[in-house]
Amino acid sequence: MRKACRELIHYLDVTVHMFKMAVMTVIEYPSNIAGWLISNPLQFIMGFAIIKFVVESFGEINGWNYGQLAFLYGLSVISHALSMIFFVQGWFMGYYVMEGDFDRYLTRPLGVMYQFFFTNINIVGITDLIPGVLVFIYGCVKSGVTVNLLFIVQIIVTLIGATLIRGGIYILLGSTSFHTRSAVDFGQYTQEIMDKTTMYPMSMYPESMQFILTYLIPIGWISFYPAASFLGINSRYAGMMIPFITLAVGVLVMLAAGAYFNMGLRKYESAGN
Amino acid sequence: MKKYLYVVKTQIIKSLTYEFNVYGNIVMQTIIMITSAYFWRALYQGRGMVGDVDADSMLTYVVMSSLLSVLLITNVERRIQMSVEKGTVATDLMKPINIFGVYFAEDIGNITALLFQNVLPILLIGSLMIKIPVIADIRDLSLFVISAFVSFLINWLIAALFGMIAFSAVNINALIQVKKHLLRLLSGSIIPIWFFPAGISKILESLPFVYIYQLPLSIYIGRGDRTQYLSQMRIQFVWLVILLGAFFFAQSRVTRKVLVQGG
Repeated sequence: MRKACRELIHYLDVTVHMFKMAVMTVIEYPSNIAGWLISNPLQFIMGFAIIKFVVESFGEINGWNYGQLAFLYGLSVISHALSMIFFVQGWFMGYYVMEGDFDRYLTRPLGVMYQFFFTNINIVGITDLIPGVLVFIYGCVKSGVTVNLLFIVQIIVTLIGATLIRGGIYILLGSTSFHTRSAVDFGQYTQEIMDKTTMYPMSMYPESMQFILTYLIPIGWISFYPAASFLGINSRYAGMMIPFITLAVGVLVMLAAGAYFNMGLRKYESAGN
Repeated sequence: MKKYLYVVKTQIIKSLTYEFNVYGNIVMQTIIMITSAYFWRALYQGRGMVGDVDADSMLTYVVMSSLLSVLLITNVERRIQMSVEKGTVATDLMKPINIFGVYFAEDIGNITALLFQNVLPILLIGSLMIKIPVIADIRDLSLFVISAFVSFLINWLIAALFGMIAFSAVNINALIQVKKHLLRLLSGSIIPIWFFPAGISKILESLPFVYIYQLPLSIYIGRGDRTQYLSQMRIQFVWLVILLGAFFFAQSRVTRKVLVQGG
């Protein structure tokens, strides 16, 4: 027990240092920060504007009005930002495998998965967070949800779960590189698919696709089911428990991703020197 | 010229080695295409024409946009950044071959390989699962091909110009992302800009982005008439000339900069 405690404290200590280092690496390229500061908010402001244009051209989307869509969009962007901060490396795992960068992690006395994600912590993801929070607050006001303590707790639980789901999916996709030894830029693709499935109400898609997105690739739990239940919109699942289901789904996806990552890593080892 | 053809050939062979990439790309792009098709079907449900276009044409737009996006993949910005970051740029510039020509040839090689690896399968899947993308008016086919070719050049030049920023900024990951988002959202590749408010689409029409995706696709689905196409293609061509000028200017600037600093 004490040993486990000491290890945990050691990891936390390392994490603090990694965080500091990550901040410094970001500051190293000033033009890059400027780029991110423009790029990320711009992307979401434009994305949000496009939803407005679509609503203006087509009217309500599957019974969701503009305020409710803003709520959904905000919720989706916030969890996207959080997953960018902690798990974006999953997108580039193929390149690490191809260049043999995992060798470095394997020689160090810390968990490989921990090192992989925390040595590369992506501070600039915060620039995604700001527009997300703004749109979300706007959505809360527009759709008139009652903000109380319970709501805040539910939102936080939802966000943790949603971030884990996204992160888990990135890791699962990235870990395929261990087996295929090639790098597909999954990031772009997953981003595009997730944009369409988490930022618009999932109920607009046919039953079969909703089934897949609920049970097989649980993207629906990231923002659709939570938003629907917060806003009181009819959907397959609704109620107070939804945030906790999201969290549970997130933990499950993450566990599966971890197992798959470690399986791949064993393969990587045996292939190495 | 022969040297560049050789680069094209090597790149084709290189692209063929990573088999999994091909399947991965096809699967992912198919999912995106089908999701988009459902997206538009849901939006158009119970509505006839929106923005002068009906649901059927929009589905053609989706399939063709997926195909076009494969042909508009560029790697030049990443290549420039890598050679600047690793410092190989100095020796690259000393070689008796234009380095930007090599990058262009590489992208051409890559796309040639993709034509068979991705475009054909996606076209097949799209035709089976969504609809066969038939051109609205066969007489406009030549216009479509020409404008698609010019849009390829514009797209490549924009990528190369963004890449050249690496010579002064070194790390341009963020800028590459900026470009990607600008392109995705302002070119009409996902949501055509005719759904935007009139004022905004007017502004966007004066930027080069819409001439990358939306113009060739509009010609394909027949939104507009011949005179409109021709006048838009004229603007597209003007952008090509402007970007070419900017490209050659920037090229001479960055090469001089590296040589003066004594690579």
